[in-house]
Amino acid sequence: MSRHRMPSRHRAALVAATAIAGFGLAAAAQAETLTIGLAAEATSMDPHFHNLTPNNQIAQHIFDNLINQDEAQRLVPALATEWAPIDDLTWEFKLREGVAFHDGTPFSADDIVCTFERAPNVPNSPSGYGTYIRGKTVEKVDDYTIHIKTENPYPLMATDVSTIPIISAAHCDATTEDYNSGAATFGTGPYKFVQYTPGDRIVLERNDDYWGDIPEFEEVVLRPITSDPSRVAALLAGDVDMINIVPTADLETLESRSEVALHTGVSNRVIYMHIDHWREQSPHLTAKDGSAIDNPLRDQRVRLAISKAIDREAIRDRVMEGQSIPAGQLLPEGFFGVSPNLEAEAYDPDGAKALLAEAGYPDGFRMVAHGPNDRYTNDARILEAIAQMLTRVGIETSIDTMTNSVFFSRASSGAEGEPEFSFILVGWGAGSGEASSPLRSLLATHDPDAGMGASNRGRYSNPEMDAILMEALGTVDDARRDQLLAEATELAIGDLGIIPIHYQVNTWATRAGLTYVPRTDEWTLAMTVTGE
Amino acid sequence: MSTAELPGAEPAADAAVPLQPQAETPFGRFVQAYVESPLAVFAFVLLVLIVGAAIAAPWLAPQNPYDLAQVSVMDSRLPPGAVSMDGYTFWLGTDGAGRDLWSAILYGLRISLTVGALSGMAALLIGMVVGLFAAYVGGRTENVLMRVVDLQLSIPAVLIALILLAVLGKGLDKIIIALIVAQWAYYARTVRSSALVERRKEYVEAAICLGLSRGRIIFRHILPNCLAPLIVVGTVQTASAIALEATLSFLGVGLPPTEPSLGLLIANGFNYMLSGRYWIAFFPGIALLLTICAINLVGDRLRDVLNPRLAR
Repeated sequence: MSRHRMPSRHRAALVAATAIAGFGLAAAAQAETLTIGLAAEATSMDPHFHNLTPNNQIAQHIFDNLINQDEAQRLVPALATEWAPIDDLTWEFKLREGVAFHDGTPFSADDIVCTFERAPNVPNSPSGYGTYIRGKTVEKVDDYTIHIKTENPYPLMATDVSTIPIISAAHCDATTEDYNSGAATFGTGPYKFVQYTPGDRIVLERNDDYWGDIPEFEEVVLRPITSDPSRVAALLAGDVDMINIVPTADLETLESRSEVALHTGVSNRVIYMHIDHWREQSPHLTAKDGSAIDNPLRDQRVRLAISKAIDREAIRDRVMEGQSIPAGQLLPEGFFGVSPNLEAEAYDPDGAKALLAEAGYPDGFRMVAHGPNDRYTNDARILEAIAQMLTRVGIETSIDTMTNSVFFSRASSGAEGEPEFSFILVGWGAGSGEASSPLRSLLATHDPDAGMGASNRGRYSNPEMDAILMEALGTVDDARRDQLLAEATELAIGDLGIIPIHYQVNTWATRAGLTYVPRTDEWTLAMTVTGE
Repeated sequence: MSTAELPGAEPAADAAVPLQPQAETPFGRFVQAYVESPLAVFAFVLLVLIVGAAIAAPWLAPQNPYDLAQVSVMDSRLPPGAVSMDGYTFWLGTDGAGRDLWSAILYGLRISLTVGALSGMAALLIGMVVGLFAAYVGGRTENVLMRVVDLQLSIPAVLIALILLAVLGKGLDKIIIALIVAQWAYYARTVRSSALVERRKEYVEAAICLGLSRGRIIFRHILPNCLAPLIVVGTVQTASAIALEATLSFLGVGLPPTEPSLGLLIANGFNYMLSGRYWIAFFPGIALLLTICAINLVGDRLRDVLNPRLAR
């Protein structure tokens, strides 16, 4: 029999084995291949090429990190079994012994040194790992101990390290192309690389020598199906066993079908409005007759009026079909650094009108709101609902939405290197799982060289908040840091540095009989899918 | 005798008299030939109704779907026949943003027809001038112009429009520009081929001998004799401009989402197809289908009537 007939023979052997072994093995044998339809495609198999959710979730199958994040983004031991600071500037990591890469080479401290060299320096990387690695020096102490040193006390060390997939030192100088072809795609993860066909599929095979829990499915096929209705149709037709990002429009139908199971969980992503805080006159804000006016969004009362005019519950019920949680700050309850004192602003159109009148805009003004139309769940429709609500309190709002690549480049640097828009809908997922992430990127005074306010597209700046945040970023004591982050959040939200709308709720759908534990980081991981 | 004959002759005379003078003018003959097809008459009436409804949309529609103060997300996704918070009935249901679909279709028709008519007209003018000029001047100029036309016709119109809109951005004016660029070549080619025939005819030579200016010969002598095919291509291209606009809007590159054309309404509804909310895509789809069918049927009939080769 020729080589390419192997799979079917293999399957036949399994079926025979099942018949002999009886009922107990039936589930395992059926559950041979798991096919997953994904809403977004990974741009590469190189784990360090592009720091982006669709890529990271694929990398997590093949590679391990020193520390992994569980479904709620708590840190769990992976290639490091223990970690702790040994002085203010040094963290010690004890490495797991007896782990091998998929090509058979044993794992040791040299692999970490190599990873830290390669990860921030991948050529042509659209967004790399520099943020997590620069300023850290790795020292090999012995084969299974490393020290990571920083110039200043750095409490986020473990979180930063948990984002970096570890590659083998044997393939340290491999190119992105080598990873895409499979020539260098050897990790220590629960699945081995088999095939990568861009636009069509990624095929993975179970690593039976994995150091952790062996996943249930022997083979995993990940297929990008970017069109929402097609993805749902593929699940209903049985072409795939599971899909991520179930469109809200189809939830009701899927819920009523017994052959489908839904798995829903809140994410770490807040959807919010970013506001022009710094321009005296903002390009997309005018009086109702079209004449120029001073930027009304610089008045805190106007920002509060906008927040009060937005009916977050109506957006949840009518636009998101229940798949959101109205937001009053940067991260949902339960995350690190969240303030217990902040709640979602209640809908109060009369209060909004009164505030606008008090701020000197009794007749409102005219505004263009911008946003992406293919990045977040129902993004364009949320913006449209907000435009309706603002128009009703007198802020005549029109909207302009565009594809996310165009939107983000214009929103960050469309006007001669400065943000182009006045009022935008954006989302932020806290990769580190704590409030320092959005505070640092969205609300700290814009200073990209210092790594602060990198995505502060409104140029909000509050020195008092900056000071508290800096203190928090240098505090290793968790309880104290939690409190400082909550304080900084309260200041920034009290100022309405941004206007939070809601936390996104995500839904995965599987065929009945499969279970998936929803993750706050929105990743879809085959190894956590289980059968009956 | 004469008195006895007259009553009997009268009906025949009555029937013949109104037709006789009409048939004597070219337009009369045209109308006479056109109405021979009941389907074409039906299509024409339908088209008049659709255009009329689009023009009268502000008075016919219970809601201005582009005025965000009148649209509420609380009314979203209601089935046909549901009653709004303000008390009027959504006969065709509402879409995902809470727009009354009947109103949105009427206003969407305005956009679709405006885009179709304006871009068709402008493309016709540009194509006509280029085609006439190429045919009249001939030689290298003609070759260059016609190779440009060939080049453009070899690329799908939707691709040209997509690329242009990616560069220009969103808006009604931009979509019209994109459609003009995507379509002028069809007119240029049509006009040029009929103008080439006319160019060689004796009356043109006579005009040249009389020393008439080039512009006068092109526009007063050649053009009127090329009009028939131009009108036919014009109607067909208007229909395809409307379809193209719908396609572009469906792909999300056309108009802003708060001012939906028919294509955008269908695109919005497409997301709800599996959820059983058929009406969001269905009714705008029917409206688009009827509009394009009506224009095409009228265009087909015009071709039959105006084409001397098909004359019986």
